[in-house]
Amino acid sequence: MANRIDERLAALAAGRRKGLMTHVVVGYPSLASTSALIVAMDEAGADFIELQIPFSDPLADGPTIQSACEAAIERGARVRDAFTIAAESSARVQAPLLFMAYANTVYRYGTEAFCRDAAAAGISGLIVPDLPAEAARHEGYLDACRRHGLHNIVTLAPTSTVGRMAANATVASGFAYCMSRRGVTGAQLGLAPDVQAYLQRARQHLTVPMAVGFGISDRARMEQVLPYCDIATVGSALIDRLAGLEPGDVARQADTTRAFMRTLTPALA
Amino acid sequence: MPESSPGYFGGFGGRYVPEVLIPALEELDQAYREARADPGFAAEFAHLLATFAGRPTPLTFAGRLTEALGGARIYLKNEGVNITGAHKITHCLGQALLAKRMGRTRLVAETGAGQHALATATVAAKFGFECTVYMGEVDIARQRPNVFMMERLGATVVPVRYGSRTLKDAVNAALKDYIASSADTHYLLGSALGPHPYPTMVRDFQSVVGQEIMTQLGQAEGRLPGYVVACVGGGSNAIGAFGPFVPHESVRLVGVEAGGKGDGTGEHAQRFPHGRTGIVEGYKSVFLQDDDGQLSPTHSISAGLDYPGIGPELAWLHEQGRISFAYARDDAVIKAVDLLARTEGIWPALESAHAVAHVIEFAPRLGRDEVVVINISGRGDKDLFILADAFADQEFYAFLRTEAERHGQQD
Repeated sequence: MANRIDERLAALAAGRRKGLMTHVVVGYPSLASTSALIVAMDEAGADFIELQIPFSDPLADGPTIQSACEAAIERGARVRDAFTIAAESSARVQAPLLFMAYANTVYRYGTEAFCRDAAAAGISGLIVPDLPAEAARHEGYLDACRRHGLHNIVTLAPTSTVGRMAANATVASGFAYCMSRRGVTGAQLGLAPDVQAYLQRARQHLTVPMAVGFGISDRARMEQVLPYCDIATVGSALIDRLAGLEPGDVARQADTTRAFMRTLTPALA
Repeated sequence: MPESSPGYFGGFGGRYVPEVLIPALEELDQAYREARADPGFAAEFAHLLATFAGRPTPLTFAGRLTEALGGARIYLKNEGVNITGAHKITHCLGQALLAKRMGRTRLVAETGAGQHALATATVAAKFGFECTVYMGEVDIARQRPNVFMMERLGATVVPVRYGSRTLKDAVNAALKDYIASSADTHYLLGSALGPHPYPTMVRDFQSVVGQEIMTQLGQAEGRLPGYVVACVGGGSNAIGAFGPFVPHESVRLVGVEAGGKGDGTGEHAQRFPHGRTGIVEGYKSVFLQDDDGQLSPTHSISAGLDYPGIGPELAWLHEQGRISFAYARDDAVIKAVDLLARTEGIWPALESAHAVAHVIEFAPRLGRDEVVVINISGRGDKDLFILADAFADQEFYAFLRTEAERHGQQD
């Protein structure tokens, strides 16, 4: 069976269109919200949707996503909910779904079982920010992804040396996730001043398409990076818009998400 | 070297951090290996330990405590006489020298009890580094005297307001700072944990403690100890005291964890037997966590021991059966502080008093020919307020009220 990420990347290339990846934290603002937000994002034009499994100590995340993870765990979100929601949602939406999880979540679940169950739930790729290539190999994670037809999305950063870019390029599959700046996720901090030179440098090493994330909070910032990459990723900015809403008011959360995405999608044309 | 592959101790350790940090950690690893091979670095480190920190620290025969317990002969390795009151200054001086060598101008550190950050702020002042300290809000509330001193030494103390607002969240916050700032900043990690090369580097710097014990006890008794006992939070004092004894299999190595108030989740910080293998804060080790891998809340009367993880080398030595773990409950710890102060004139930090409490329990069962060394990792000045509370010292409360009123009038 073809991987949905490949299909979507092929469609983007054929249409000479740029892609948009959006982000939900499973169980935030509530467990009932997650499926509705995934459907809303799909309808509003998301090309890829990341489902972040909440973790108590998210090393790569800034205050917005960290608070969302804490709230989700406090409101009872469990790791198994991510699989249930993925299974329900993947059948209902066009956009490929990815899990974003921290290494401990994968390890405690069992690396092999995690990949098997993710694939069975209709997940197409995994982003595990604290499993750099060497650790990923050590944990048998790269093989498990391959066995279950999941793309292992590698991360590149502005600090990545030529050697690191080359090493990551050899294990990259699907697309690569390029951090726009040093630091953690968050909408407020903006992009690095030299982001374009770095993205051009990354492009030389990669054979897979490039997504850019961190600090992409509006259409203007999308337009800044899209000429140098294939996919813009918006995460914290979406979650920031949910923070003021009632956790139980799913309809309003979906409307807010759709409305915000309408301001972003014109940048893709 | 015990590492089975670089940065691993058996199945523990490694480097589990976002890609953005890998180049900085590789640079640090390289710089550390070069420094280790440079006799000039070792000489400068030794000179600072002797002329600034106060090494060697004394190994004291605890004659009256030995009498009181009526069993093994007890020695105290008194790390509390270090300039900042605990063993932490040793790895801070080592890492500060390394940071200087690497051209860094700023230090970040996390802290629980405040002892590590006090030592970091001290070396920052001495070497002229800018210094930012992350400390959980809960710990700031219970260790204000240390915060005051750090600030007087020129450090900026940033309260961490997420998670459990204790040491693990401070580690998280410091790592996030380092992710953004590694070009000019050294993360001066305060224990033998975190991503490679920290566990190895901190162990190497701290191993001076175990080497001194070996030499000093050799002079006093002409032999190796039967037991070395140390409290274990992240494990920097324990791995430092144990390290040089690991190859000497006759020496029993005992780590004492925070037993807190009881066995329930959130009441203690006993990774053994309650912890399970996991990958958190950049390394693989044993962590207190739930079925989903979320870190569990912890408790200890001492802010320095309530950490849900443990240094990977200690986890590995435990798996090998080379070290064993015990625990001491909060109430036994208070009694141990009292007994050590009254019998030996040494006031241990609450952390170190865990090791004392465990020895109080088992030393009476040993013969007079046995020798036990307790690593007193720090002194107890910082615990004044907690202890005044534990001993329900009415006069001290009255003093605090008078002081508070006086400050109130000044506002």
